Amino acid sequence: MGIGDAIRRALSSWTKKEGPHGDIVLGTRVRLARNSKDVPFPGASSKEQLQSVLDQARSFPDVLKDEGSFVFYDMAEMDALDRDMLVEKHLISPNHARHTFHRGVILRSDEDISIMVNEEDHLRIQVLFPGLQLQQAWKHASRVDDCLESKFGYAFDKERGYLTACPTNVGTGMRASVMLHLPALARVNRLREVLGTVSQFGLVVRGLYGEGSESYGNIYQLSNQVTLGHREEEMIEHLERVTKQIIQSERQAREYLSQPERRLAVEDTVYRAFGVLSFARILSTEEAMQLLSDVRLGMDLGFIHHLDKEILKELMVMIRAAHLQKIMGQNLPPEERDKLRASLVREKLNPQALKKS
Amino acid sequence: MLCEQCGKKQASVHVTKIQNGQKIERHLCKECAQQSSEFSTGIDFQNMLSSFFEYPQTWGQKARPKQGCPVCGSTLTDIQNRSQLGCSQCYTTFDSEVNTLLRRIHGTTEHVGKIPESSHGRIRLERQVQDLREQLQQAIAEEQYEKAAELRDQIRSLEGQLDGKEG
Repeated sequence: MGIGDAIRRALSSWTKKEGPHGDIVLGTRVRLARNSKDVPFPGASSKEQLQSVLDQARSFPDVLKDEGSFVFYDMAEMDALDRDMLVEKHLISPNHARHTFHRGVILRSDEDISIMVNEEDHLRIQVLFPGLQLQQAWKHASRVDDCLESKFGYAFDKERGYLTACPTNVGTGMRASVMLHLPALARVNRLREVLGTVSQFGLVVRGLYGEGSESYGNIYQLSNQVTLGHREEEMIEHLERVTKQIIQSERQAREYLSQPERRLAVEDTVYRAFGVLSFARILSTEEAMQLLSDVRLGMDLGFIHHLDKEILKELMVMIRAAHLQKIMGQNLPPEERDKLRASLVREKLNPQALKKS
Repeated sequence: MLCEQCGKKQASVHVTKIQNGQKIERHLCKECAQQSSEFSTGIDFQNMLSSFFEYPQTWGQKARPKQGCPVCGSTLTDIQNRSQLGCSQCYTTFDSEVNTLLRRIHGTTEHVGKIPESSHGRIRLERQVQDLREQLQQAIAEEQYEKAAELRDQIRSLEGQLDGKEG
């Protein structure tokens, strides 16, 4: 299969579509942690208990048929590359891809909804939408939750709410987050100030792939810190309010950068990035992400018109190691991946350059 | 000593590490050290959480329960090592420890969010009554007596339903 086929291959819908405030908010995620009242949490369960939960989960696609077309996968039967691709698409956690015994995942066909089975908790329901759509994502997650509740007796306590393995998730079991692209704030050196302020309002900032991950390409995840003591709608509204503030300051920074006296310098960065991406022969993930971030800023500021807006989101998933290796159908050493990454990005950004060379 | 990186602020983080048999010393200010990924403060989520599970020093040693949870067998030490509770029963078995922990993490021990649809009609009603009571207080404070009377009737009717459920 050629690189072109791989580019045209379907990705999760959140990477292909642009949502509300899509110039800054790449995606919205809401995840709910739920457990069975009859079985110990996965970390303290026996093999038989884990298997019983997994077997129950096999019937969930049927339980959820009013919510779309879902398929159950046993993680142990899934190819290692396919598992890593699910991580790169943000559909499962890295932990879930590494430890596969008695674990499963249920995916909706458009990959907007995923349910991890026997991760840290028995069920982790996740809804992932493009752009800023916190209310909608919460409503969807809650509907899926209602469907599953009818089949799966939840561990729920009147005082403490939904009980989870880790006490940091207890109560609502909800973690709502937004994925933000903040290139202008980074360029005017206001990012740390803005993100530092945010953490004083009960929100947490993380890198692209969650806990402990590096931030690449000026992309940050913002999510609620506590899960107990507030209603879900309140938490969602709070996160949305803060996100809108950040959107506003990023917009102001972009405006500032487009003023005549600064415009040329930004344009220069954007076109240099475009030049490197269009012609480079070797690209690391980190370099590619930074340059793609510059190019996307150039598109948002109106310097570059001919590219598809969602190129940053698509490529940020496709240039990851597992996706690249899937394209070639084999495991590749890092240097081979860097070469393949460069030609994939060239093809996407500048097909003519690829043909001539 | 000034920070090696920015050369502006006082260096307050001093790190010596051995890399490929060579000793490397670095002196950075707090800000630059935070940015530089080669420095680790040793503070991570797991360590922090695990320290939260430690028994409050003010309680002394005598009260620490030795026995495990009757359902999953987890002891407090197991829970601390895993940074996770073993099962839903653990929340009851280690009730006071869990409450201390929840206050540290969330600042509260009380869930006010979603309730499972099917099995908890009673909790729903109780919460509704609580909400209405708050509205009633407000209505009285605002001297909206007609509204207050309406709310009072609603509360009575819900309380009637609650009594029915109890019996």
